[in-house]
Amino acid sequence: MHPDVTREVTIETTGLSRSYETYKKPEGLLKSIEGFWKRETIQKVAVHPTTLTVYRGQIVGLVGSNGAGKTTLLKLLSGLIYPSAGTTKVLGYDPHERRPEFLRRVSILLGQKAQLWWDLAPADSYELLAKIYEIDSAVARSRVRELADLLACTEQLHVQLRRLSLGERMKMEIIGALLHRPEVLFLDEPTIGLDIIAQTKIREFLGEYVKVERPTVILTSHYMDDISLLADRLMLISHGKIVYDGTVEAFTAKSELRQTLSLKLVHPPMQDVTLRHDFKISAGTRSVRFEMPAQWIADVLGELMALSPVYDIKIEEVEFEDVIRSFMEQDARLRAAGHSPTA
Amino acid sequence: MLGCARLAILQQLEYRFNLIADTVIQPVIVGLVELTLWAAFFHSTGNQTLNGFSREYYLSYAVWAAFVSRISTSWMYESMMIEDIENGTVNSILVRPISFYEYYLGQFFGYKVFTTLLSLGAPVAVCLFADLPLVISRLPLTLGLVFFYLLLVHTMSVAIASLGFFFSRIHHITVAKNITLWMLTGELFPLDLAPEPFRSILIALPFSSAVYRPVGYLTGRLELNTITEGFLSISLGLLVATVVATALWNAGRRRYSGTGA
Repeated sequence: MHPDVTREVTIETTGLSRSYETYKKPEGLLKSIEGFWKRETIQKVAVHPTTLTVYRGQIVGLVGSNGAGKTTLLKLLSGLIYPSAGTTKVLGYDPHERRPEFLRRVSILLGQKAQLWWDLAPADSYELLAKIYEIDSAVARSRVRELADLLACTEQLHVQLRRLSLGERMKMEIIGALLHRPEVLFLDEPTIGLDIIAQTKIREFLGEYVKVERPTVILTSHYMDDISLLADRLMLISHGKIVYDGTVEAFTAKSELRQTLSLKLVHPPMQDVTLRHDFKISAGTRSVRFEMPAQWIADVLGELMALSPVYDIKIEEVEFEDVIRSFMEQDARLRAAGHSPTA
Repeated sequence: MLGCARLAILQQLEYRFNLIADTVIQPVIVGLVELTLWAAFFHSTGNQTLNGFSREYYLSYAVWAAFVSRISTSWMYESMMIEDIENGTVNSILVRPISFYEYYLGQFFGYKVFTTLLSLGAPVAVCLFADLPLVISRLPLTLGLVFFYLLLVHTMSVAIASLGFFFSRIHHITVAKNITLWMLTGELFPLDLAPEPFRSILIALPFSSAVYRPVGYLTGRLELNTITEGFLSISLGLLVATVVATALWNAGRRRYSGTGA
């Protein structure tokens, strides 16, 4: 747990779940006509009963493949949607009741959805937001200046939102989301679709911001750098269920720890060789690189050294991003194999 | 609310051509169409009066009906509300400490007040120039009734937009509603021309306060009691619309899955 994290509970859910009804869209004209009076509905479970506790000041990285239930969980916690069952308390409030005193203390940033006004310059949008959040306009203006300086986007404050680039727009959205100094911040894909420079800038800004202001944050992202650099707690969600909840480090340790073994053979083999665990070396190959569970390294290395003297040996840890990717790929394979969240 | 009204005005000013089309071109065209119809009617029948009122009363009614109906009809904001719910833009309102009703009411009133002030000169000028009946001192009370009616219009719009939580596409409901109101409000013809019992029913309904009552009062066709009855009728309609809109909104919110984000 991060040293600044107190044991004060900010978010607490018990058996929180959400399902929704959709209907099967039939293919073809006749089926579409039939669908006019007869539609087959499907119940989808987006989030299975979830019980979790988040403490004040924690930065939780919520990771999962597309359709795993990350955004739905965020929407439930922020009060955007009603739960199908279970209870939620955020800062002591039921989010879906949308009490103004609750909404003034939280913020949600949806990376795929503009929340500022498309036709207005951001400065005008912030003025309206200041009125909505009942912030003194001079205080709001100074806050905007401060955030715009940090994000290096002062020049764009007076340009109509629709005329800004995606990266500039996201910076403006971030200012809008932080204007009222929320105690709880829900960030849904804040860097999605941005180029590497914009991603880095926003990541650095958020890193600095959470260090200084210490809000409680739940962050979803497809970019593992966002999670590994910002989050001090990791939650993995699969098919609407939290399948891992712990620190990033513990997850990497708990995952089947994989390492990369690379080396060069002094005498490349004259013919194709198959080693234990089905690793293959083609005839004439000098450089060898295999990824494997850590416990196999000794066996494979022993076999290779029996084959030929070796040099330039390197054993590397697999990156956190690769571990998560492997988890998500496995999750997607399960989904494709029919383990859908359909109840 | 005032912040939202300001937002509406800022947005309108951003698109000048659209604003002129909305506030000037559209009511002028509607006014010309209705003037032509009434002029043709009196010309072809050879009558100088209809139901006790002269040709000039009807021409003045046509001019003001076009102007007032532009104020008392909601196309744009109702469509925006529907679209916001259909595509999930409503999320940006739901996460903020402002209600959907209040957010759009502020914008709706801001827009209507602004565009009314911009276009008010045109019908006044036409009446003065063509010497058509107009009691200018009645204008404040007339506009008061129309703006009170806007509360009912807005509440009905929220009820219709809430259907967007249940159905994926509902734009044609707005079209159907506005065509129905075209007749019920008196925009098409003064409601006292309708045969009984339709005449009494149409006048008793709150929708008569959108055009028939205010225009009849302003042009001298009707007296003060029509305005007081209008306020009463709108109040009752507002009560019913509020109950329906609240029920639909609450039920819809429970179903809502936060589309599009």
